[in-house]
Amino acid sequence: METLNFLAQGFDVALRPVNLLVALFGAFVGTVVGLLPGLGPINGVAILLPLAFALGLPPETALILLAAVYLGCEYGGRISAILLNVPGDAAAIMTTLDGYPLARQGKGGIALSLSAVSSFIGSTVATCGVVLFAPLLAQWAVAFGPAEYFVLMVFAIACLGGMVGDKPVKTLMSALIGLGLATVGVDATTGVYRFTFDSVSLSDGIQFVIVVIGLFSVSEILLMLENTHHGQQAVKASGRMLFNFKEFCLTIWTTLRSAVAGFVIGTLPGAGATIASAVTYMSEKRMAGSSGRFGEGDLRGVAAPEAANNASACGSLIPMLTLGVPGSGTTAVMIGALTLYNITPGPLLFEQQPDVVWGLIASLFIGNVILLVMNIPLVGLFARMLSVPNWILVPAITVVSLVGVYAVHSTTFDLVLMIGLGVFGYLLRKLDFPLSSLILGFVLGEMMEDNLRRALSISNGELSILWTSPITLALWALVVLMLALPGIRWLRARQKKAKLAHA
Amino acid sequence: MYVRLFAGIWLLLCAALAVVAWGFQAPFAYDPVGPRAYPLLLLSLMGAGALWLLVKPHGEPTPPINWTLVRKIALCIATLLAYALLFEPLGFIVSTALAGFVLGVLFTGRPLACAISGVLMGILLYGLFDYLLDIPLPRGVLLFLEG
Repeated sequence: METLNFLAQGFDVALRPVNLLVALFGAFVGTVVGLLPGLGPINGVAILLPLAFALGLPPETALILLAAVYLGCEYGGRISAILLNVPGDAAAIMTTLDGYPLARQGKGGIALSLSAVSSFIGSTVATCGVVLFAPLLAQWAVAFGPAEYFVLMVFAIACLGGMVGDKPVKTLMSALIGLGLATVGVDATTGVYRFTFDSVSLSDGIQFVIVVIGLFSVSEILLMLENTHHGQQAVKASGRMLFNFKEFCLTIWTTLRSAVAGFVIGTLPGAGATIASAVTYMSEKRMAGSSGRFGEGDLRGVAAPEAANNASACGSLIPMLTLGVPGSGTTAVMIGALTLYNITPGPLLFEQQPDVVWGLIASLFIGNVILLVMNIPLVGLFARMLSVPNWILVPAITVVSLVGVYAVHSTTFDLVLMIGLGVFGYLLRKLDFPLSSLILGFVLGEMMEDNLRRALSISNGELSILWTSPITLALWALVVLMLALPGIRWLRARQKKAKLAHA
Repeated sequence: MYVRLFAGIWLLLCAALAVVAWGFQAPFAYDPVGPRAYPLLLLSLMGAGALWLLVKPHGEPTPPINWTLVRKIALCIATLLAYALLFEPLGFIVSTALAGFVLGVLFTGRPLACAISGVLMGILLYGLFDYLLDIPLPRGVLLFLEG
């Protein structure tokens, strides 16, 4: 009951004209960024974050903007996936498998409208999940002390290594690089300057905005230089634009199942929309058996990943809001946004900043409706944006990124640092190091060290405080499990190979 | 191969940074950990990771270096750096017009079209940021516009 009151209060915040306008704008920009191949939610959020900050938007408005962009990207990614066979963002890879064949069969309009509805159902189910579970988790998490927090963050990082799949060492390395970057600057407890190399500009650390924009925008620009496949013709969405009742009934159970699965996967730290859409696509394919035509244009093959990636985008807000530990790269950026406003995310957020939390949750509901309404009639307009040539797009991204960084401190040093980080990020990407875990590490870095040192201050340097309470013990067990996962997977693959060799 | 090279460089870097980090000493002991233990912990873990990659880089075949691409990327980085360095002295409008033009040409646009889009971008975005969104941008050589 109390939750409903808070939710009403949230709607009060979200329905303020400014916030509605911001949600509308964010939804539009998000869809555009999502549909442009190569640019994903993290880029959209990264580019808009400094602008929101420089504009002096209040924290709840800034967060609503970022959440609308995040959701919008998940909607937008499917458009290029279906019409162009190029996923607009990583989470839409699975959508291409059936979406593009459908478009080639002249059912592009149906696939687009149906997947918009699937996306809508996915995010709505997940947002309801957030309303139900987030306050409970927050209440429980208030009991966390510094030791528990420290182990929780270790768990979040271990999750990355266990989940992201085939390259655990590289994933953990990039998380460590992120943690390391966060130690630059003056040490808060003792006032010692660390890794500043006597530079005044580095004394209060590397600004979050610079890291995000450098790593994601600048490196993206360099990566785009390699893409020579421009001029690809989009399939025209012709024929019937709206799905009929029969097609809706065919996919509704798929959509609901995938929404729930996507939500659950989204709440796990480290596992994001990409994993959620892959998992649900595979399981729906298996469930359909021989009756499905997955891979050749089955509507369920579009509905499942779209419902899942939207649901997991919303689900990943749970660890961010309740624990202050991000579940994905994009929520890591949003946590960074909160810290820019001197708001510490965590369980106390629900008590101290109800406007921010519940306004954000309510705006998810509203943003979803906006996106659904926007996406069905405006699909033609969005599809036309696919033909914006790179020679306009790239300079525009460059300028907006540079202005965003310049707005923080107005120094040339920051601009050069941004480009340096961009080149570094480009090299890491070429070498297959995942950047999203780097940014996760960077966001967690300060909190992690802080909590570790606070815990050890409490125990007077006794290390055993880190594993004596039941919560920490359980978390350490999970950490070990996560770190063992890649090894187990590797062993299994080897056994399978051995079996094949015998047969 | 590239991974191995990177891991080697990273290992050396970790060692160098560890030497730097060894010098972090607080004049008074405020807390039992101090400013030096945590960075050293991170560096040693990172060093271990780099060592692992050095030994087992997961032998993907080394693709030949595409020199035209490398030249393009170097040009792009140089353009971005020049843009960053000239941003304040030349001011937003002029530097953006120049950067927009060069980047446009790098991304295979026609020179005339890129020149037009660069100048338009400089003027329009300046209007958008400075007047509408109230984000102060450097005026640089166009300082006389102030009055």
